[in-house]
Formats: sequence, C-alpha cells, structure tokens
Amino acid sequence: MDFRGLLDEQTDIIDAEKRRTGAPVLGTLCSYVPVELLHSFGIVPVRIWGQADDMHHADGLLQSYICPPVRNLLAMGLEGRYDFLDGILHCYTCDATCGLYNVWVRNIEPRFSHMISLPYVDTDESRRYATAEFEVLIGKLESLTGDAFSTDSLAESISLYNAQRELMREVYELKAAGCPIEYADIYSMNVCSQVLPVGLVAAELREYLERTRKMTPGPDGRRILLSGSVVTDLPLLEFIESTGAAIVADDTCLGHRLLESRIPDGPPLESLVEYYLSRPPCASRADFPSRRRILEETLESHGIDAVIFVHQKFCDPHLSDHPFLKEALEARGVPSLQVELEGEGFTGQVRTRIEGFFEMLET
Amino acid sequence: MTEEKKTRKRLQANTALREIIAEFYADGHRAKAEGRPVGWIPPMNGLIELFYAMDVHPIFPENWAPLCAAMGTNAANFSFAERRGYSPDLCGYFRNNIGYALDGISEENQPLGGLPEPDFLISFGAGCVPTMKTFQVLCDRFDVPVLRADLPQVAMEDIREHHIEYGVTQMKRLIAFLEGLTGKKLDMDRLSQAVAYTDEACRIWDEIMETRRNVPAPFSAAEIGIMFVMVTRHGTRVAVDFLNDVLSEVRGKVERGEGVIPNERIRLFWDNIPLWYNMKLFNYFEKWDAVVVAETYTSAWTMRMDPEKPLESIAYKTLVSYPLVSCVSLNKRIELIRNAVRDYRIDGAVLHSNMSCKPISMGQMDIQRVLRDELDVPSVMFDGDHMDGGKFSMAQFQTRIDAFMEMLLARS
Ligand code: SF4
Ligand code: SF4
Repeated sequence: MDFRGLLDEQTDIIDAEKRRTGAPVLGTLCSYVPVELLHSFGIVPVRIWGQADDMHHADGLLQSYICPPVRNLLAMGLEGRYDFLDGILHCYTCDATCGLYNVWVRNIEPRFSHMISLPYVDTDESRRYATAEFEVLIGKLESLTGDAFSTDSLAESISLYNAQRELMREVYELKAAGCPIEYADIYSMNVCSQVLPVGLVAAELREYLERTRKMTPGPDGRRILLSGSVVTDLPLLEFIESTGAAIVADDTCLGHRLLESRIPDGPPLESLVEYYLSRPPCASRADFPSRRRILEETLESHGIDAVIFVHQKFCDPHLSDHPFLKEALEARGVPSLQVELEGEGFTGQVRTRIEGFFEMLET
Repeated sequence: MTEEKKTRKRLQANTALREIIAEFYADGHRAKAEGRPVGWIPPMNGLIELFYAMDVHPIFPENWAPLCAAMGTNAANFSFAERRGYSPDLCGYFRNNIGYALDGISEENQPLGGLPEPDFLISFGAGCVPTMKTFQVLCDRFDVPVLRADLPQVAMEDIREHHIEYGVTQMKRLIAFLEGLTGKKLDMDRLSQAVAYTDEACRIWDEIMETRRNVPAPFSAAEIGIMFVMVTRHGTRVAVDFLNDVLSEVRGKVERGEGVIPNERIRLFWDNIPLWYNMKLFNYFEKWDAVVVAETYTSAWTMRMDPEKPLESIAYKTLVSYPLVSCVSLNKRIELIRNAVRDYRIDGAVLHSNMSCKPISMGQMDIQRVLRDELDVPSVMFDGDHMDGGKFSMAQFQTRIDAFMEMLLARS
C-alpha cells in the first residue's frame, strides 16, 4: 500500500475504526483544531477535505464569490459524503471557513459542533486564554463521549502525533536532499495524516521511509517552493515536477508548516497550547512579519530557485499576502509565479502559465 | 412621479452631521499639528473609548472608505492597489484603504484634506481577514510604533468569562502602550465617563431606531449616515448630543404622523452594508410607496455598556462588534432578523449580496430560507458591492427589484 492507495480506502478504514473502537468520528475544518485532544478521547479526527462530485451542489447556499475549496467542502457535505461523521469542529482562521462552519451546522445538522478561536499573539496571557479555550472543548468532548479527560491519555496522544510528524519531516528532508520522491507522494502523505487514524499513517510512513532511505539522490533540478492555501490538484503538482523541477519546500495549509516543531515535553495541555501558538503562522493568522521571515529563511535553507504561488480565487488571506511576499522575493532576486485556481482544477490555461514560467527561467 | 409623492426623507440633522464629519477629520489634523498622537485603528471596538479618555485622536480607515466612495476617490485608490498587485476580488474597504495609504495619500484633492498620518498603529488580530490585512499593510507602510494584540472571533452566544478576561488583558496592554506614548497615566474616571457616553449613545440609538416601528416610518435607510457618530464618536458627548437631536426630530415626525413618503404601503428590511457610492438607491423603492425601515447593519453598532466596569465593557464591545454583523454569529443574526420582522412589521426583505464582504454575505441564503419558511416574508437578493460601483449593475438591480416589488404589491 502507498499513501494514494490509503486515501482511496479512507471510507472503509474509518468505518472499520469506528466499529473497532465505537468512538465518535469528528470532522475538522482547519489544521488549527487540536487533533491530539480529540485522539486522547479515542475520537478519530477526520479533516474534511477533497473534491465534490459537483461543486455546484453548494450553489444554493453559497454565493459565487466564495472560494472554490469552501464550495467543494460544502458540496461534499450536501452530497452526503460525510454522513458518517458524528460532528464537526472548527478553529477560526479565514472568514470563508467560518461561514462554511455556520452554514454546515445549519444545513447538515451534525449532532455535535463546536468552534474554538485561538489568539493571534503568543504571550503569557494568550496562552492562558488558549488553555481556557481548550478546556471548554474538553468539557464538550467529555459530554460527547461520556469519558473523563485524562492527562496521561493526552500525553500518549501527543507522543503519537509527535512521532508521526517526525517521520513526515524526514520525508521532507530526504526530498530536500535530492531523493527522487515525488511531491505528489508528499501531498498524499500530508492528506493521509489529516484524514486517517494516526497510528495507521505512522506505520505506512515507516515502511515508506525504509524504502526511500535506500534511494540514491538524483540530479538536482530547479528547486521550487510551493506556496498557497489548499492545493488539491495532483495533476498540477505532477506537472510542475514533470518539467524536471522539484518541489522541495512548501508553505501550504497541510504541509511542512505543521511539521516544523514538536509538541514540547511538559504538562500536556500547556505544551499543546505552545505548539499551536508558536507554529509558523498561516496567512489567516495576523502575524505577517513572521510569515515573511519564515519564507526568507526557507529560501536560504532549501536553496530555492523559484516560488510558485498556487492561489484560490476569492481567497482573501493569500491574495492579500501575495504582493508582500512577491516583493520579498524580488528583493532577493527569486523569481515567482502566481496561478489562481477557479475550481476547475488543473486547466490548460494553468498549464500554459507554468510552462511559460519555466521557459522564462531558462532564458 | 407626482409632486406629492416627492420624498421628504432628509432629516434636518444632516446639516449638523456634515459639520460633525468635517470636524472629526479637522480634529485629527489639529491633533497632528499640535503634536498630540494620532492612531489609526480598526473599527468597531472599545479602543475608541480608551483613546478619547487619553486625548489620543483615532482614525478609522474603515470609516474613511465610505467617504472616499461618496466623494468618488475610491476608483483611484482601487487602481493604486491593483497596480501594487492586490487582486480586485479583495474587499473594497481593504483596496481603498491600502491604495490610499500607499499612494493616494500623496495625491492632491483628497476628501476633507485627507487623513493625518499615524503616529502609531494598533494591529489587532480580530474581526475579518481584510481588516487584519489592512493593518498589516499599514504597519509595513508607516514606520511608527505598533501595538500587536488581539481579540479572537467568538460567536456572541458563546462568549464566556475567559474571553472577557483575555479582552481585559489586551486592553491593559493597550493602556500601557498609550501611557508610554503620551507620557500620561490613564484616568479611570475619564474612561468610565467615556463608557457612560457610549452607553448613552447606544440607548438613544435604540430609541431612534425604534421610532421606525411606527407607520409611517419617520426616516429610511437613506439616513444611515447618522451612524458616523456611532463609529467615530462613541465615548464622547458629541455622539450623545447629536443623537438626542436626531431623536427629538424623528419623534416630532412620528407625532405629526409624517413619514418618509406620504403613502407608505410597503415596509422593507435591508441586509448587508449599503452601497456607499449610491445611497440614492434606497429611494428607488419610493415609486411603490415602499420604505426601508430596518437593517441588520444598524443594529450591530449598539450594545449596553457598564461605566462601573469600564475595562470589561470595552473588552466586551470589542469582542461582539464583529460577530454581530458577520457570519460568526449567524444564529444571532437570524434571531435579530426574526425580531425585526415582527417589531418593524416587515413586508419584504432586500438582501445585498456584497461581493466585497464574505463574512457578512455568507449565510444570506440561510437567512432567505428562514424568511420564507418560518416568517412568510418574501425576499430578494441582488449582487452588488459596498465600495466598488464597477461590480454593481443598476439594470440588473432594477429588473430584480421591479419584479419583487410588483409581487409584494400583489400580495398586500
Ligand atoms: S484560506 Fe483561502 S482558499 Fe482556504 S478556505 Fe480560506 S479563503 Fe478559501
Ligand atoms: S466589509 Fe466585510 S470583509 Fe470588508 S472589512 Fe468590513 S467586514 Fe471585513
């Protein structure tokens, strides 16, 4: 089995897990939802993710100027693809997903729903506040499962997630060191880590790494950093690499950003808070200076030759950060390309733009 | 249109309002000239009471944007933003304000003499993404001290003790920051006084709005401009005095049975921000003897505050301002509309689907469903934009509204 294979079997895997443990399955709308906490209650967190059969199924509930990912997710919900969920959880990030959460709750009517809201700065007070936010969630999970919260159980969940993230990070490192790993595999690995039970993904990762560590690094193509929110189009990722380039770093919703740091040792709840508040920020978090700094550091550390921004139409957070980041790149002489996806996936037009960009790099 | 149908909509208070607006910006320039600090801040929060209690002049880019739209400088600001690489799909407030701050600011002939440059900035993680991003750009643009703080977005019905407590800690950080900047200590009594003014302004505001429950309604949504004092002059006497005058004026109209239009037949509800560049749109309904008598937007700026607990009050205000208008508290918003439909005897609802503003527009189809299924109130939705006239088609608006109004008339 590989990551893509696992993804194809997601529904069966979750079903089996549900039968095995009898625990609830909760859908999550954002990577800022503390999955470790859910796991400590035996709950299986499943990131709501993917492509609807027909995005237009959301047209009756969302205006045309809402980004394609949100339209897709709602359409999937309306198509009944997530009927197996016992509820949904969200953490406020962008406005569109906040709207999605509310519309989902009103129209799909899950048995359980909750939204947390994390602070934007990392100070002593904001950590106390975030701990209180997590405690409210804990109270709700206790009622949902009928189980009491256990610090030991959280500590165990944390070490599982830490281990999984460690393994995933190694895949990124091998790729950056020139191993012939397809970025499409990395993408699938990232999605697996969000939509499948943590232990299962870790087992697959161990096998994958075993095979991959033996590969010999190949010749170095152009080193690309991929930046954007959600990039779900495998053909697009494959096409970029088919030109001989390698996506060796990313700054996306599911990517390396989540693997950068470990949940530190110490009292589990406080450590969890520390991880979520100090993680490299996504575009929806207010801390732009750190976002720019991290981008600049990645350019250095990964020897990036060019950056490809894959943006979604109507995506406020990324579209408003773009001119800034572009300027930071220009100041360093790093060329970049922006493509904006409109929900139709990898179109001929997108392909032409990427081709044009690579041709331009040759000259 | 016959002569007696001619609108009597304009309130006298508009003359005073024009002065208040001019004075607010003139005050900013005076403060600048006299070396008193001017701070640019996000709108809709309890920071303003603090500012006034400390003699610091606030500037709200988000209030500046509607002015630019009314005066017609928005288009130029949009093109500055676009030239800098900002997508035309972004919120019009954002594009106007950063376009202005980056380039427009050095252009001649800005409305009311332009904005005084900031001496410091407050960059809050709070509210919508475009507001946060506006301040990101400003922080980069102006080389001035910045206070980064935040108040997360929580649905109004979910606000708990720890949210308020955290809000208070953020207010204390802001106080320390302003004290450092001005070299003066905050006088708690003055803050209580400012909070009391806001509370009073909100109370009068509610009374003003309630006069519209009368048939005929004494004024329409075209007067929404009076909200200026709710945005910029909370925490001061200016708001209280002005609103008191408005209240007597509209009460007089009610006593005399004087409506915005002579033969009011249809009462409308308006959802989402007005089209600031086309406020005349509200008069369009007159030809069917229809008046917009209530809006979601005007209800979102009012709340009760407790002068005995000034810090908690301003923290609470900051917490709820954004959820109240947006989809963060969709259920609350729907509740508000349910009440309005009953209290204001609404016959139909007009929903402005605002391309600029996702947070206020998301959930509008849910609102329509509640109106139809629960409240038996017909509604119509049209596409527009609160800042960008290029994204609004009058012809389409007319087609939709004409059909809707005919249908409402047939029903009544
Ligand atoms: S980050 Fe952008 S693409 Fe993602 S859900 Fe929000 S608006 Fe849509
Ligand atoms: S109009 Fe909407 S998107 Fe724009 S700044 Fe206001 S709340 Fe935010």
